[in-house]
Amino acid sequence: MRARLALLILAALSVFVICLYAGPRPVNPFSLNGMEKEIVFSIRLPRVVTALLMGAALGASGVVLQAMLRNPLADPYILGLSSGATLMAAGGIMAGAAFMGLFTIPAFAFAGAMATGGLVGLMGWRRGGLWPERLLLAGIGIGFLFSAMLMLLMSVSTSEGMRRAVMWMFGDLGMADWSLIPYGFALIAAGFSIALARAKALNSLMLGDDLAHSLGFSPRKETTMLFTSVGLMTASSVSLGGMVGFIGLLMPHVMRFLVGPDSRLLLPASALGGGMLLMVSDLLGRTIFQPAEIPSGIITALLGAPYFLYLLRRRDVIG
Amino acid sequence: MRRLIAAVIFILIASVSQASERPEKPEKIVSLAPQVTETLYALGLAEKIVGVTTFCDYPPEAKKKPKVGGMSNPSLEAIVSLKPDIVILTTDGNPQWAEERLNALKIKTYVVRARRLVELPSEIRAMGAVLVAGQKAEELAGKIESAFSKFKAPHDGRRILFIIWPEPLIVAGPGTAVDDAIILVGLENVARGTGINYPKYSVEEAIRARPDIIAIGSGAGMEGFSKGLLKRLKDTPAVKGNKVFFVGDGLYRLGPRVIDGIRELAEAIGSQAGEATGAGK
Repeated sequence: MRARLALLILAALSVFVICLYAGPRPVNPFSLNGMEKEIVFSIRLPRVVTALLMGAALGASGVVLQAMLRNPLADPYILGLSSGATLMAAGGIMAGAAFMGLFTIPAFAFAGAMATGGLVGLMGWRRGGLWPERLLLAGIGIGFLFSAMLMLLMSVSTSEGMRRAVMWMFGDLGMADWSLIPYGFALIAAGFSIALARAKALNSLMLGDDLAHSLGFSPRKETTMLFTSVGLMTASSVSLGGMVGFIGLLMPHVMRFLVGPDSRLLLPASALGGGMLLMVSDLLGRTIFQPAEIPSGIITALLGAPYFLYLLRRRDVIG
Repeated sequence: MRRLIAAVIFILIASVSQASERPEKPEKIVSLAPQVTETLYALGLAEKIVGVTTFCDYPPEAKKKPKVGGMSNPSLEAIVSLKPDIVILTTDGNPQWAEERLNALKIKTYVVRARRLVELPSEIRAMGAVLVAGQKAEELAGKIESAFSKFKAPHDGRRILFIIWPEPLIVAGPGTAVDDAIILVGLENVARGTGINYPKYSVEEAIRARPDIIAIGSGAGMEGFSKGLLKRLKDTPAVKGNKVFFVGDGLYRLGPRVIDGIRELAEAIGSQAGEATGAGK
């Protein structure tokens, strides 16, 4: 299994390099002219790095959530963070907050996602800790509430800020820029480290609170830590490039087929798989219909779903 | 004599029936699109407009008219309660069911089908005929036609990228009034080849295309929001040569203000093509 993980790392590195030099027009990495240098380093590199970061964050968040909530349908957006992010970004722009320039939407989106996370956490908190079922239901409830508020704003507002925020949220990596990457990297790395450090606890949580407790983990404390990790990763991913479907929901399942259910392997595997899938999807999205582009979220699902179904047909056991 | 009487009777009947066929002058008009509202104002029919959409913001007085909902979601109830003589819709923005439902409710409709610049004058004339404002319509159509010929210029080899939205990058493609205006003033649209009206455009390809001019559609805070994009397009001839300008929304709505949009475009590229005014921005 560790060999498979090593193979995944190697594959991710190759995909990274290919995505950097392939595109609407492939460039030769050994003889770049001025314009090509500019395109590769200022446009493609931040884009590919953002895809890797977002894909990894979503893939890892999916693993944590599905285990923590003991629900195979959990995905990073189930906690309502993306609705909160869009709502806050829309509100921010409508209120005329453009003072942060390029950072305006991402900053508001991040604040919205974190505030929503806090709210969901507050609702999920009982007797000194977080409870998975409560978190799940609170996330769904708050998510619906915020999407409804967003829809309401969209149907009554003629404000451009509204449309701008929604476009941005369903936009994609074409807007990736160096300026956000250091923050995104730091937050996602922090979230991922927490998850990886608590991977054993995550394994035990899958078995139920009682068993986790008897294995020496405090379910409430672990859930709180893991929730923080997911919040950081999902909020950063949403703020880096909006919402991308499929990865958080199905990549953990795909990787479970490949490396098994142990979170210590599954977390990095799902992160690498998610990163790879998003890098490839973005490459295809910007290449197929060039010079027009298609959102990479469409391609992640078009590529990922058939593969997932194929694995499902081939295997007897799930999970 | 009998023949004469028969002829008189025939003429009388004919004239009466013609009178009844002559379009009644609509006194209460509901507009379901901003460009329609603008055209109605330009035709001097302001008093007759009894309902507009929430998107109808020009001229500013239009905002004070009763609202019947948005463009994609007009309220049938609100329209019916205004008892309009005619409702004017567009194929570009209003749902198809609106026309069918209104007709089923015995409310007269007129559908604006023009989507291209060249179709505008004839559309305005047709609208004028329906609204019995033929003379004003003729004047307006003539004004638009003379603007077309005034700003018409032969293609001079310069290429333009017309940005509708900076992030994600959405540009004006072929088949739009913006594209028509670009061709009219003698430029070439970089996004021609996409075949899509408003394609999401590759930033990479925008750099490679080396546009000579970049036009950015106006909107609240657009200058701020375009900074990041322009930074990435810094090596294009347009940004290097300081040929980036912000234009109004004249070309976004196929109404009387397209003249302003064309003039703006023509003046901006003209003044920046070498005239010493330097006040193009």
